[in-house]
Amino acid sequence: MGVLYSEKLLDHFRRPRNYGALTDPDVSYESFNPLCGDRIRIEVKIENKSVKEVGFKGDGCAISIASASLLTEIILNTDPNKISNDQLIAALESDIKPARVQCALLPLEALRAGLKVYQDQEQH
Amino acid sequence: MDELFTDLEKLAKVEKRVAMATLVGTRGTSPKREGAKMWVGEEGRILGSVTIGGCVDARVIADAEKALATSEPRLLQVDLDNEDAWEMGLSCAGSLDVLIEPFDLTSPNNMLIETYHAVRSAIEQGKTVAIVTPLKDGAQRLLLFEDENTDSDDELRKVAFELMRKRKSATVSIGDPPVEVFIEVHGPPPTLIIFGAGHLSMPLVNLAHDLGLKTIVVDGRPRFATRERFPEADELLIGIPSEIARTLSYNSSTFVVLTAHDYKYDLPVLKVVLPAGAAYVGLLGSKRRGKAIKAFLKEGGMEESLLDCLHVPTGLDIGADSAPEIALSILAEAVAIKSGRRGASLRERE
Repeated sequence: MGVLYSEKLLDHFRRPRNYGALTDPDVSYESFNPLCGDRIRIEVKIENKSVKEVGFKGDGCAISIASASLLTEIILNTDPNKISNDQLIAALESDIKPARVQCALLPLEALRAGLKVYQDQEQH
Repeated sequence: MDELFTDLEKLAKVEKRVAMATLVGTRGTSPKREGAKMWVGEEGRILGSVTIGGCVDARVIADAEKALATSEPRLLQVDLDNEDAWEMGLSCAGSLDVLIEPFDLTSPNNMLIETYHAVRSAIEQGKTVAIVTPLKDGAQRLLLFEDENTDSDDELRKVAFELMRKRKSATVSIGDPPVEVFIEVHGPPPTLIIFGAGHLSMPLVNLAHDLGLKTIVVDGRPRFATRERFPEADELLIGIPSEIARTLSYNSSTFVVLTAHDYKYDLPVLKVVLPAGAAYVGLLGSKRRGKAIKAFLKEGGMEESLLDCLHVPTGLDIGADSAPEIALSILAEAVAIKSGRRGASLRERE
């Protein structure tokens, strides 16, 4: 594992940042991989289109947990709609094989789905 | 417990009076444990057994008929030396005490049925109950519930709560001068919690169900944790496994087995269940994998004593190969650990 994954990825897997649930989040969405069983729930509090608080919970592989942890750091105090797939994968600083890209993007998938629900509710 | 109620309900439909024989004491080896019951109806019907059969049951039936005839309870003591045991066809010698009590099932305030209804109701609420029966002076039964004040100084309550904790029935001497009472413990069925809804978990649930265990299957994948794959499971829980693990309760009657064989479930779930006080925690995997998992948990701050409680590889060494055989191996080890036994051949037991 040490050969394939960067120290940064392993560090975020071993010591995930912002792990935990928020009280009364604006966004809460859980995504899962139906075959491998990775499950990540992202929760966000939003003020003026910017992320004021963020947390995540989940059981997943090293890539998905590290990716979720990094995602929470990247989007804090920013517009969460602006993060791209490439930006998150690059943050892992590892050679993510095509078959594992799905793992790396699972937390982002949860964030985007949650934001869509939140924005739809805001419009109505 | 289910068998007890089934037998009682069956008899209540066809018999007016019954004798309830309860195994209240054993010395030496005995094929059944304290609390085993046999019912003898006035019309001759017999259900249950306090031994594995043979002449002891015949003596119990004979004494039960006497108890019904006199309407008086009897304490039957059966001493078996080796010769008797051989002649009686029993596999082991020892001595047994059997309390035989006659009851009128047609009585509107039937104490026996009322007592067991109260016990059943408590069990359905997930509580453990002790029925305290004096063996000699004919005093009334006392019911104790596990959610009563367990810090009581009362000697009887202290002993009863300890037996409830161990889920064990026993005869004990209480007070000065000592009075013998039989404390009969009933509780909800033991629970098997399985993390991972893969192939192995299917026979594991089926076998556990046959053993009378309540089964809970946890997985993050709805395609695996389905009713079609687990028709006998009592609960199928889908979600983040470690989060679900925090919502479940663990005690001396809880077995936990992790069958996912995937660190993504094993690590976070073990962090929750190892400190939680289950009777058994087993992890599917090789010794090498177990060592790596333990090293990771230790690095995360888990105490060595908790890591020592993890059974990895899970199961007894019976040469299990197929999924049903592995399930048998796992449950055999879990039952042995809960009973404080090694899981070796009975013929090697002193």
